Amino acid sequence: MQDKQFMKEMLTDSAHAYKDGRMDRRTFLALCGASGVAMSSVMAGDAQAAADEVVMWNWGGQSVECHGSAIGDAFTASTGKGVKFDTSGPLEGKIKEMVDSGNVTADVADADLFNAVSLGPTGHLEPIDYSVVSKEKTLPGYALEYGVSVILYGYAFVYDTEAFGDNPPQSWADFFDTAKFPGMRSLYKWANGSLEAALMADGVAGDALYPLDMDRALAKIKSIKDDSLYWGSGSEAHSMCVNGEVSMGMIWQNRGRNIETDTDGRYKLVNNQALAMPGAYIVPKGNPAGAAAMQFIATAQEVPAQLALLECLGMTPSNPAAFGEIPEDQQHYAITSAMNIDKIVYNDPTWWGENGGDAVNAFLEAIS
Amino acid sequence: MQALRKHIHPGWFIIAPLLILVATLYLSPILNILWLSVTDPEPGFGNYAKLGESDALVRIIWTTVRICIITTIFSVTLGYSIAYAMVHCHQKQKNYMLTLLLLSFWISILVRTFSWLMLLGRNGLVNGALQDIGLIAEPIAFMRNELGVLIGMVHYMIPYAVLPLLVSMEALDKRVMDASRNLGATGTQTFWRIYLPLTLPGLVASTLLVFILSLGFYVTPAVLGGGKVLMVAEYISVQLLVTLKWGTAAMLAALMLFGVLAMLWIMSRFMKLSTVFGGAAR
Repeated sequence: MQDKQFMKEMLTDSAHAYKDGRMDRRTFLALCGASGVAMSSVMAGDAQAAADEVVMWNWGGQSVECHGSAIGDAFTASTGKGVKFDTSGPLEGKIKEMVDSGNVTADVADADLFNAVSLGPTGHLEPIDYSVVSKEKTLPGYALEYGVSVILYGYAFVYDTEAFGDNPPQSWADFFDTAKFPGMRSLYKWANGSLEAALMADGVAGDALYPLDMDRALAKIKSIKDDSLYWGSGSEAHSMCVNGEVSMGMIWQNRGRNIETDTDGRYKLVNNQALAMPGAYIVPKGNPAGAAAMQFIATAQEVPAQLALLECLGMTPSNPAAFGEIPEDQQHYAITSAMNIDKIVYNDPTWWGENGGDAVNAFLEAIS
Repeated sequence: MQALRKHIHPGWFIIAPLLILVATLYLSPILNILWLSVTDPEPGFGNYAKLGESDALVRIIWTTVRICIITTIFSVTLGYSIAYAMVHCHQKQKNYMLTLLLLSFWISILVRTFSWLMLLGRNGLVNGALQDIGLIAEPIAFMRNELGVLIGMVHYMIPYAVLPLLVSMEALDKRVMDASRNLGATGTQTFWRIYLPLTLPGLVASTLLVFILSLGFYVTPAVLGGGKVLMVAEYISVQLLVTLKWGTAAMLAALMLFGVLAMLWIMSRFMKLSTVFGGAAR
């Protein structure tokens, strides 16, 4: 692991040196050979590619393929720069650690917009260059100093049609009503979305959620604690539904279609009161590719990239120009489609950036 | 140089590089953690004071200790029986048993955790079978609770309990037991008064090993506990990665370290620890 990292850095440095003429071709090729990295690009006679690339830090799985095809190809076509992936997942602590250690190896992190609020002012992020990135190509309020929302994901829920087929649940109030809708529930373990859902279930209007009333939200969460499971990853949320462990499950809304398919339609997605979460691209301070990161973000904002991300990953466009072009068969699964946009509520990244740590701990203390 | 040789055994020069390596790669990160626990977010013992202020932290630590104690009791008891059976059966059967034990030892913890979900989950094999033959109407909640965590942890820990016990039982001189029977003791008496005391170092070693390893469990409680069983390791990881309260994380890590050291120290008051770690009794 450490070795691989070292090799990667050595090769990047030597590629820079080769490009600037500080290193001869023979030495550079020898280094490439020794490290076993980028042999293909070297053999194609494209030695500079190793230096001219943007490293996207995402969560692995399908997203490598999808970010590559939806954003990477267009970015490479327009700038000539390649795209590489670090799939270790840019959690807030990892970004902080990377920047603090002075060893920044990623250019664009596929993170949350609230990360931009908490990590930006502490000097861990590059400010977004709004002469390259567009403020108009995202929702109002989601273009912040240190991060811009490129996609939306969301918190919605699915329900078991065999249990509630005749009288399907419609809202978070129904979700939290275990008397009327008996059965197990699943909620997100790191508080996000769960708190908002609890407040809406308790009667708070969707546009008056913030600042979150923590005591009220936690009381509501605790009221169904005996009937609740909590998931920490998308696959866990998925398996809790597919294995029939819950009769209603909060999920990341982009997983809805997979759950419906995998259960042959037994579980159905409810988008009413879905909480739209701004997924943001943020740039660690001192990123190796410099300004190219901004071009990469700008590419991701374009309508074709937005629609491709929806098609491939199920991530909803945040560029209003793309809303109208969401294909018919995706409408139900995209929270900003004409079918859903009037029913959803919006997350406030500023509140979460400033209060998220304490909220997560309070939530964990309430459920454990 | 001559004077230096007189006072320092030349052997030290040979092991010095290793000592320095251990010190830099092992001690300095630990010191860094300790340092972090008294400096982040501000200098002082604020992080440690939280233990007195927050019921939640105490509850998390108590959950961890409780689960580890129960896990240790079950793993070591089961492990003792398994080791006993292995020592006293035919060589061929013993080899089979050892192979099975090592197989489960080598399988990744993730795989073992998720296979418990398949077996004992709500729609798992066991619940499905019991429902099909009409023994139960509703699935039994084996998983996604503390019981699930305990099942997963005991299962994972049994090989760790067996191996030290096996070594200690194999080293026993069987003639001592024969002598005991010869002198008129019953089988039960021989076990309680001769066999068990003689295997005590192995028993302590496996207890310590299982307990200390259990303290650091992360994956099993996270998956099998359904989110409701929060242990220290998972809490530390959340404080590091999500809430960025590195001081709290460092404090808890330091607490675990000192807890384990204190445990070893208390043990050392009652017995020679060197026998536990394979040394001679004297």
